[in-house]
Amino acid sequence: MDRRKFIQRTGAAAAGLFAAPYILPSGRLFAASGAQLAEHVVLVMFAGGVRQQESVLQRYIADAQNDTVEGNILYNMLDGAPPSEKIVYGTGLGGIDPIQSILGQTLQQQGTLFREMRAVSAGHYSGLNSLLQGNTAATQGLQQKPLNPTIFEYLRRHGGFPATKTWFVGNTIGNSVPLLNHSIHPNYGSQYGANFFAPNVTFGPAGDQYLSDAKVYHPEDQLTPIYEMKAFLDNSFEHVGHVPSGLGNTPEEKQDIKAFMAEMFTKTQNGTIAHPPVHDSGDLTTVGYACEVMKWFKPALTVVNMSGVDGCHSSFTGYLAAMHRADHAVGHLWDFIQNQVPGMAGNTVIIAVPECGRNAEPNAILDQNDWVSFDHSDSNSMRVFGMMAGASVPGNLSVGGEGNQVGIVTDVVPTIAEILGVKNEVMGAGMLEPGTLSLFDRI
Amino acid sequence: MRTFTTRHRLATGCFLFAMLFMSACKKDLFIYEVDPVDLGQFDGAKDREKSNQEFAAILHANLFQTALSPNDLYKIDQCIQSIGDKQLAREVMISNFMNKPGVMIPTSEEMQADVDAFIIATYNRFLVRNPTEAEKTWFRNMIASDPNVTPELIYFSFALSEEYLFY
Repeated sequence: MDRRKFIQRTGAAAAGLFAAPYILPSGRLFAASGAQLAEHVVLVMFAGGVRQQESVLQRYIADAQNDTVEGNILYNMLDGAPPSEKIVYGTGLGGIDPIQSILGQTLQQQGTLFREMRAVSAGHYSGLNSLLQGNTAATQGLQQKPLNPTIFEYLRRHGGFPATKTWFVGNTIGNSVPLLNHSIHPNYGSQYGANFFAPNVTFGPAGDQYLSDAKVYHPEDQLTPIYEMKAFLDNSFEHVGHVPSGLGNTPEEKQDIKAFMAEMFTKTQNGTIAHPPVHDSGDLTTVGYACEVMKWFKPALTVVNMSGVDGCHSSFTGYLAAMHRADHAVGHLWDFIQNQVPGMAGNTVIIAVPECGRNAEPNAILDQNDWVSFDHSDSNSMRVFGMMAGASVPGNLSVGGEGNQVGIVTDVVPTIAEILGVKNEVMGAGMLEPGTLSLFDRI
Repeated sequence: MRTFTTRHRLATGCFLFAMLFMSACKKDLFIYEVDPVDLGQFDGAKDREKSNQEFAAILHANLFQTALSPNDLYKIDQCIQSIGDKQLAREVMISNFMNKPGVMIPTSEEMQADVDAFIIATYNRFLVRNPTEAEKTWFRNMIASDPNVTPELIYFSFALSEEYLFY
């Protein structure tokens, strides 16, 4: 070997030695360059189509039912006096007992309220897609994985987050909700996807029957040879075409998830899941399991979906009750993080945005109180609010208002990206809805 | 001088007729044969992914030699849908099956008594084909080198393999 080759090879080896420790699980060489505003984000997709009138505008039944009673039913999220009469959204017979607020200070006081943002879709699935993709592809099908990368994939690919640091907790396996944990984009996809549970199913009766009695295999003596034999079989498989790849959970992460599942089955059986004080709906029990996910994994991003409010298609009374419970769920989530998850307290941002609104004009269906119901398809469905609170978020700030829309629901993606330090990469990927900005840039 | 009598003519005619009959009706005999082909060898034709219900139904049949009810299959499908990491979901489901009474797995002694036969039977049971010589050798070595490898673990790995996901 001559002197020049020796120097070249020595230099390459030295460079390798320096670089190797910085290669992230995602394959990228260095972590994202942006500074993080907080270490954790919780996104609540709130909660199945919410009208501005009954939420941020606090008109209760004044607008919808030609009545005079106004008031705030989102006790934990918004400032405002509750309705003084015709209470139907609480517990007890007829819902006459409102659920007491959990938070001593509303999220509005703790953070920033965007009084009126623009939704990009009047439908649920495309609305949820817009919250997670920062876009709504025109060709997006209803029973199809997202076409553009989701925030989970941006974070994992560009931020190097492991699979168990991104979680999507869904309230159902219907309405294509389980499809939302990753896209089918060729540059991203399942290997950057989020872990997902629909806990009411996973830890419900079906899961109890088919998942709860899992045999525990020794990670080295038994699982290692299992995976070795599987790898050999997979290499021998002469398949041409798409073989579904996993989410990239490492064997250690899989063991961790299995241990979490075992714990959840035990807690479910014992009735010790961290449910909100009132948990008489699927949304509320989902949030209880989301709290358990956060306590166990301390994810960088936790997304929780709720949809009970969509009962407004046929019951305005049920809609009010579901919205009041969705607020209870958000209050419980935030309180739980601050008081039960030391690793996330004071270091988390919570964001709550509806995926779409609802119509200005009712349909023909009357509920038990002879109140009209509302679908979601007109321009009023494109009006939603948004709020965020927590680390680095300005407190007690209100932005925009009725007739002065500030922000788009797709802003949620670059906002989360900014909080977790990959904003430049997400904006640079060029796949967001035109005009989309981080909510921090809207303030 | 001998002359042909009617009797001679008749005998000659019968002889010629018999010769004509025997030679004219003889057919060529063709025997068609095929070379022996091992139809269980090729796995490249498995290009259709099993649905969750198909996977669960076939797995249950492979492990228990009995069928699951449509209601059970529906519930298992829901369970798999409710977990994002499908491989993990299948792992948990398989390990649940392994914990249930009635699962039909050979003992380690039965496997060790005739390792080749066990390997072939396992490939036939799960992958519906025969193993290649290389595959047989690999598993033979695996079983010989690792005392922890039991029929249960081998069944588990087959049920978890990508080839088992396709038909």
